[in-house]
Amino acid sequence: MLRKIVDWVDERAKVRELYKAQMVEYKVPKNLTFPYVFGVLALITFALQIVSGIVLIMYYKPVIAHAFDSANYTIMKEIDFGWLFRHIHAAGANFFLAIVYLHMFTGIYYNAYKKPRELVWIVGWVIYFVLLVTALTGYLLPWGQLSYWGTVVTTEIPASLADAPILKGFFGAIGETISVWMKGGYKLEDLALGRFFGLHVIFLPLVLLGLVGIHLFLVRAAGISNPEGYEIDKKSEPDKVVPFHPYVTLKEGAYAMWYLAIFFFFVFFYMSHFLPADNFEPADPLKTPPHIAPEWYLLGFYEVFRSIPSKFWGFVAFNLILLLLLLLPFLDFSPIKSARRRPLFFVMFIVFLISSMALTILGTMAPTPTNAKLGMFFTALVFLFFLSLPVISFLEWGWYKARGGQT
Amino acid sequence: MSAWGVVKTVFFTGLTLAFFFVIWIYNPFAHKETYELPEDVTKIIEDPKAALEGRNLFKQNCASCHSVRYDGMYLLSVETKPEWEKILKTMGRPIIEKKEGKVQVKGYYLPRDVYEAVALQDLENLKASFGKVPPDLSTIYLARGPGYLYQFILDPQKVLPGTSMPKLFFPEYDKEAPQKVAKIVAYLRSVSEPPPSEKAKRTVMGVVTVGYFVIMGVILWFYRKRLLEKMGLH
Repeated sequence: MLRKIVDWVDERAKVRELYKAQMVEYKVPKNLTFPYVFGVLALITFALQIVSGIVLIMYYKPVIAHAFDSANYTIMKEIDFGWLFRHIHAAGANFFLAIVYLHMFTGIYYNAYKKPRELVWIVGWVIYFVLLVTALTGYLLPWGQLSYWGTVVTTEIPASLADAPILKGFFGAIGETISVWMKGGYKLEDLALGRFFGLHVIFLPLVLLGLVGIHLFLVRAAGISNPEGYEIDKKSEPDKVVPFHPYVTLKEGAYAMWYLAIFFFFVFFYMSHFLPADNFEPADPLKTPPHIAPEWYLLGFYEVFRSIPSKFWGFVAFNLILLLLLLLPFLDFSPIKSARRRPLFFVMFIVFLISSMALTILGTMAPTPTNAKLGMFFTALVFLFFLSLPVISFLEWGWYKARGGQT
Repeated sequence: MSAWGVVKTVFFTGLTLAFFFVIWIYNPFAHKETYELPEDVTKIIEDPKAALEGRNLFKQNCASCHSVRYDGMYLLSVETKPEWEKILKTMGRPIIEKKEGKVQVKGYYLPRDVYEAVALQDLENLKASFGKVPPDLSTIYLARGPGYLYQFILDPQKVLPGTSMPKLFFPEYDKEAPQKVAKIVAYLRSVSEPPPSEKAKRTVMGVVTVGYFVIMGVILWFYRKRLLEKMGLH
């Protein structure tokens, strides 16, 4: 019976041909390492976010009089399994960002942003940026103290442009305009909540969905990179490639199952970080909490902003880091790929990795003068990583030429 | 894998796990206040029977200033209004409680704007005498935790100097005072935390879900191994 239905569909849609071409005859390098799984894990988390988000949106009310109660009473207490979907969505947001960061660091380590994969990296960067905005907008929705004050601080960051050394009026006007656009006014009220809600539930997810589609297409078009950094010729080296299905699908399927086991362990038994205690207090515009800090995935940027004494240069610095990340394929123009074969790059990658982690952890600490100095030090190291890339590439071009163009 | 490969794998895995441990589970660098909680008090707070007594104590001692809307508990002065019952039944939603298999209405949940409109004058009066409206305590247990609440109710000025919350329990005159405070905290806990039977259900659900994924992963792994051996790809 089932076979007949598939036959009927196949006759009209040619699904078997598509499956064969895209899954079995599609060959990937045999030596892919464990970190290559993060892409598919991010995709799974995205699906979880969409499903749990659809359930939450049915009961959430984007009005400040009802937002807090709809999240904490209706969803958590009134609706059967509402708590489960909120837990999944809150933990999912953190896991999504965590997996995306791991995916990005993997990409940097194996130089997966180099020719012919520059577009994969650039679209991936746009996904990361949109994801950060989605996380920020979603953070306001429960309308707790952390949501409110976190958003107040974030929407005031563009206003630090007014601190510019020259053209104060011009920069100030730009900063204020951005800030007012984000909030829909000078105060964080119903208008802002409505805007953030609309962006978070319709616009940004649709954009993400489109971008993820393009990202996947580009990965297929350019081919998966390879930990060794060689481009494998699939025709002349058939022993170095394997069919995508079942070799990779089953391996990553098993990893995905274990990832979900860890994810649901957090969902059921350890939510105290993902639903922080302070956010169970309703937003109070008259009461500023003692410690305001963004969520962990923004703390690195926040620490860069905070540790630089001038607000303007702090703003410039963290935006510059984002921009340099986007320009990575062009900063690193060396013909040699993968940190496995690039000792200088390997050292700088470790410097970059440790500095980003240190900046994030410094962001959780109190803003003492020592911490500010440490923050500046690690900020300098992050910039050193980006600036070292052209130098390393220049040296490697020399070696490349000396070996007669052999990688 | 070469020795260098093992070193790299251990280094990167260890660094990543250590980072997420600090960020998500225990951060030794971040400052966190802790409040002392005696062991017998913890026992009372976790006892569902104490929560029932705590509800009455709350009504006697706290409900003249604080509401607990998620439990259908409102300011006493508001509950004496003649139109109150009607407002609850037309604008509110029943809070359903399952007791020994029977479904019963425990009280009514009133949306915040409706409640604040009805109680406007009462809330203004409280603001006039205390400087601010005493907060609704529906989620305070989740926000502050048992240690803070116990110490704060026992001696507000010691925990939060300058607060307008009065001291209501005096251990020097009333031997039962610490137990009474603990019962009130137990009540606030029962409003926020799911009841023990529900909690047990969630634990079973969690164990089954996590177990399912672990086992599915193992099955897929061995299925793949056998399949690849047959195909000559391993």
